Amino acid sequence: MLKALTDRFGLPVSVTILLLLWFWLIVLVILPQLIMIDYSFRPNLLPAQMGGPEDGYTIGNYQTLANNDIHRTIFFKTIWSSILVTFLTLVVCYPVAYFLAQLASTRQAMLIALLLVIPYWINEILRTFAWYLILAFQGPLNAVLLGLGFIDRPIRFLSGDSGVLIGMVYAYLLFMVFPLYNALESLDPNQVRAARNLGAGTIRTHWRIIIPHAKPGIATGCIMTFMLAAGSYAVPALLGSPGSRWFTQIIYNWFFEGGDWHMGAAYAFVLLILCIGFIALVMKVFKIGLGDIGR
Amino acid sequence: MDSRVQLQQLSMSFGDFTAVHPLDLDIRSGEFFSFLGPSGCGKTTLLNIISGFLTPTSGTVTIGGEPMASVPANKRPTSMIFQNLALFPLMTVAENIEFGLEVRGISKPERRKVSDRLLELVDLTGSGDKRIDDLSGGQKQRVAIARALAVEPRVLLLDEPLSALDLKLRQHMRSELKEIQRRTEITFIYITHDQGEALTMSDRVAVMSAGRLQQVDEPMTLYQNPATPFVAEFVGENNRIAGEVVGNDNGRVQIKHPSLGVLEGISTEAMAPGTACSLYVRPERLRLVGEDASPVNRLQARLDVVNFEGAFLMLESSIEGLSDPLKIQTEHSTMPASLTKDHPVSLVFDPADALVMPESAAEGGGHAQGLD
Ligand SMILES: Nc1ncnc2c1ncn2[C@@H]1O[C@H](COP(=O)(O)OP(=O)(O)O)[C@@H](O)[C@H]1O
Ligand SMILES: [Mg+2]
Repeated sequence: MLKALTDRFGLPVSVTILLLLWFWLIVLVILPQLIMIDYSFRPNLLPAQMGGPEDGYTIGNYQTLANNDIHRTIFFKTIWSSILVTFLTLVVCYPVAYFLAQLASTRQAMLIALLLVIPYWINEILRTFAWYLILAFQGPLNAVLLGLGFIDRPIRFLSGDSGVLIGMVYAYLLFMVFPLYNALESLDPNQVRAARNLGAGTIRTHWRIIIPHAKPGIATGCIMTFMLAAGSYAVPALLGSPGSRWFTQIIYNWFFEGGDWHMGAAYAFVLLILCIGFIALVMKVFKIGLGDIGR
Repeated sequence: MDSRVQLQQLSMSFGDFTAVHPLDLDIRSGEFFSFLGPSGCGKTTLLNIISGFLTPTSGTVTIGGEPMASVPANKRPTSMIFQNLALFPLMTVAENIEFGLEVRGISKPERRKVSDRLLELVDLTGSGDKRIDDLSGGQKQRVAIARALAVEPRVLLLDEPLSALDLKLRQHMRSELKEIQRRTEITFIYITHDQGEALTMSDRVAVMSAGRLQQVDEPMTLYQNPATPFVAEFVGENNRIAGEVVGNDNGRVQIKHPSLGVLEGISTEAMAPGTACSLYVRPERLRLVGEDASPVNRLQARLDVVNFEGAFLMLESSIEGLSDPLKIQTEHSTMPASLTKDHPVSLVFDPADALVMPESAAEGGGHAQGLD
């Protein structure tokens, strides 16, 4: 690889690129993480106590999380809700990606891709806030549903979890659609025809032929969506209610309201471990390797 | 089992482009029927209509007396072998073969019995657990055949299934396909641009050109009595000499070529003098003769190339005034040893071996040379 790089750019440029890469990886990614882990194993001390007998490594911060019922509940709820968000996003995106990749004409595909991407030119906070307006108690969605006679009184979308779920599915749509599209696009249409020719209906064709083929794409999309959902702050902060607090909000509180960086670091580290665990689990369930995800 | 396939006034257009012009065809039950034509003449389109993947612009498909218009692709009694095989790469060989049975809700032990039997039929006993990617081209080919046969179709549709194989394997698979067809009594509809394949395997062949049927006949008839100039040139080797009609009596036609003079052949249709026409004579019907032979249909040429083809020699000779070289097929024994490149040669052919057809009969087809 190094040789390919020097052949292409010459030695000085290649060395610069590599140095920058290593700088980014070590100084900006690995080191801060290590510092954070170090922080998480130390108590929050007053300046006067530093260097004193209490200044040593401890697992007290983690014990706080384990012993705090509310925080623990929110932690598990965040995991569960993120899984739900991931699943809903998959269900919404699969038909779209399949249509884009296999059925749409070039013009249709361009149009849909454009419609999907344009909203993402707007800042995430603003996009989320748009949903706040749409889902409001007196907002347009309730008005439409009432007008069509589906409901007889407005629904409080924003007081439960539904607002957060809808907002997140929307926020992370693209991160699911494009990996799925990539995987589905490489499917030979004759595979689908062959299955049909042998008598398979639509559902079986998807279940036995198309979904197995798209597995790496599904796994990649799920991993990205889950990580983004579990680590999301803006969506739950804007669309959530006190009952639908996200774990990231608690971490935020430790850092910026409680002023306890050590506790915040411990909470954040637990979330990181959780995400890595989730990736490992998904990869095992889908029987795919790291190399498949990069594709 | 009635597995006749009838096509009535069947046509297919994509936008302004007509891929298949209206045609009628009756394919018999248990017949090995081929569509032969150059790439792009509409063969795959026709197969896709029969299998239900395409809805024809007009006309009907009937299989075993049943109209297929309202039968979706996954309910038709047809089975297709795709041009690129389209085996399922994520399944094992056995799972591929059993897929159609799995769809029909047949139990696993029953399915296994069927796939074992079919693997034996295609000479792949014991390969059931292999991955598709671990098979050679010829083995994949045979798995595709087994997979298509597993659902016991009444009609097997084959889209140039042998085109990716090398010559030896292709010849081997030809006889295997023929053998399977004989044993199963399934109607085979076979598509190819390779005339050798069509002629050796088929009971009947439909020659197609630019979306039109040119001729439907037994292989021997196609070769001996081509109905159109397209068929004459596409099926087998042929020499073409263009001219115009000068005389016509009792099926014998005299034509005049500007530099070769008057030549004589036979024709099935009456042509008025002055009609532009082509005379076709097969390479094996041209004979090398000495100076003293009959003056009828005698040509003076110069030998250009001697191709050794194993069992015979294929000579190419040029004649002034004729753009394409004449091809002559000859035995080693009748070839004088003194005859070498650049030698003048005398050629004759029997008028009964030369077919004269009017130019206009090349309806929509044009001449096959240079195609495919
Ligand atoms: N879906 C389609 N849309 C437009 N044109 C098509 C389509 N399918 C086939 N054609 C055209 O129809 C003609 C016949 O194609 P095909 O049946 O695949 O030929 P063959 O199998 O004889 O090589 C070709 O010119 C091809 O470009
Ligand atoms: Mg084709």
